[in-house]
Parts: sequence; C-alpha cells; structure tokens
Amino acid sequence: MINTLRELRAERGWSQGDLADALGVSRQSINALETGKFDPSLPLAFRIARLFGKGIEDIFDDGLGHLKRAAE
Amino acid sequence: MAEVTFREANKRYRRAFVPVMVFYTVAVFGGSYLLKQFETPPMWLSAIVALIMAAPVGGVLWLMWRLARETDEFTRQQQMAAMAGGGLLTAFFSVVWGFLELYNVLPPLWTFLVGPIFFLSYGAIYCFGMKRGPGPGFDK
Repeated sequence: MINTLRELRAERGWSQGDLADALGVSRQSINALETGKFDPSLPLAFRIARLFGKGIEDIFDDGLGHLKRAAE
Repeated sequence: MAEVTFREANKRYRRAFVPVMVFYTVAVFGGSYLLKQFETPPMWLSAIVALIMAAPVGGVLWLMWRLARETDEFTRQQQMAAMAGGGLLTAFFSVVWGFLELYNVLPPLWTFLVGPIFFLSYGAIYCFGMKRGPGPGFDK
C-alpha cells in the first residue's frame, strides 16, 4: 500500500521518533509503514489520519481507488 | 488486551526480565552448589532444585508472550513470526537429532537444551525479520 506518511511527517518537521511517540508505536513501525513493508490495522490508520487531520484515503492508497470512482 | 504504548510495554518487559534472570542465575548456581553437598542427593530435593531452575525459563516465556500482546502491531507481527519460526526450527532440529541419535550417529541430547535452541532460533529470526519486514503472508 502506498502512503504519504513520510511527506506529512516532513511537512511538520517531525522525526520518525516524534511520530512514533505521538502514535504510541515503535520507530521501527513508522519506518516499516513509510517504506511500505507494513500496512497498518484500521485502528492505527484512524489514529494516523486523526493525528494529521486528514481522511484515511488521503494518506493511504491501495491502488484500487479507480474502482471506487468508476462505481460512483 | 492491555492498552499500553510500545515504550511502556518494553519498560514492563525489562522491569520483569531482569529479576527473573537474576533468580535464574541464583537458582542454577545455588541449586548446583546445594546438590553437591550430598554424596547422593535425595530424589525429592533434586526434583525441587530442578523445578526451581526451570521456573524462571517459564517466566521468560510468559514475559515474551505478554510483550507480544502488549507491544505495537508491527512489533507483534515480528515477535509472533519469530516465536513460530523459532518453534518450528526447534522442532525440526529435535527430530533430526532424534533420528541421528536413534541410529547412534549422535550422542543423546540433553532435553533442557531445547530451551536455549528455541531462544537462539527466536532471536535470530526476530533480528532477521526486523530488517526484512513482514513477509507476504502478513497484511499484504
């Protein structure tokens, strides 16, 4: 899954450790999320979205968004 | 599942791990010293010493399990994969050794070595997994 976590974090001038502390997870988790090695659970995705004041789909893209748009 | 952060879960683990290992060290050396005081130690005493030595290992396994439950989801995946991988490797190693032992190729293996073999396998797989990230079976 592609995500904009690294960009959002950089915009705020946060380190991976800062973001990890804010979310209550390990720095390794943030690194794994940013590099696409790990996809978050729904509760963690919500926490990330709330922290950045955005919707989950603004941050995470599973590459199937075109299907939703086509259905609409 | 308790709602604790990654940092708190690690702190809880370390806070309990150190005394358990101190107890283990004291039990191993103290127990061996105690049994050496007898020419033929009574069976009941040997059994008690052996169980006291083994108890902290059970404690460490429980602490590992608690840490896996309390830590963040990425680390939990790594921990669970390492525990499963460590268990599978240990089982395979034991079976291979057992067959070789059956045909007198290798000497009998002390059963208590299964514990350290598991911990070594678990540690190696955990370190490897942290570098590599979860495999395709995890959330992909």
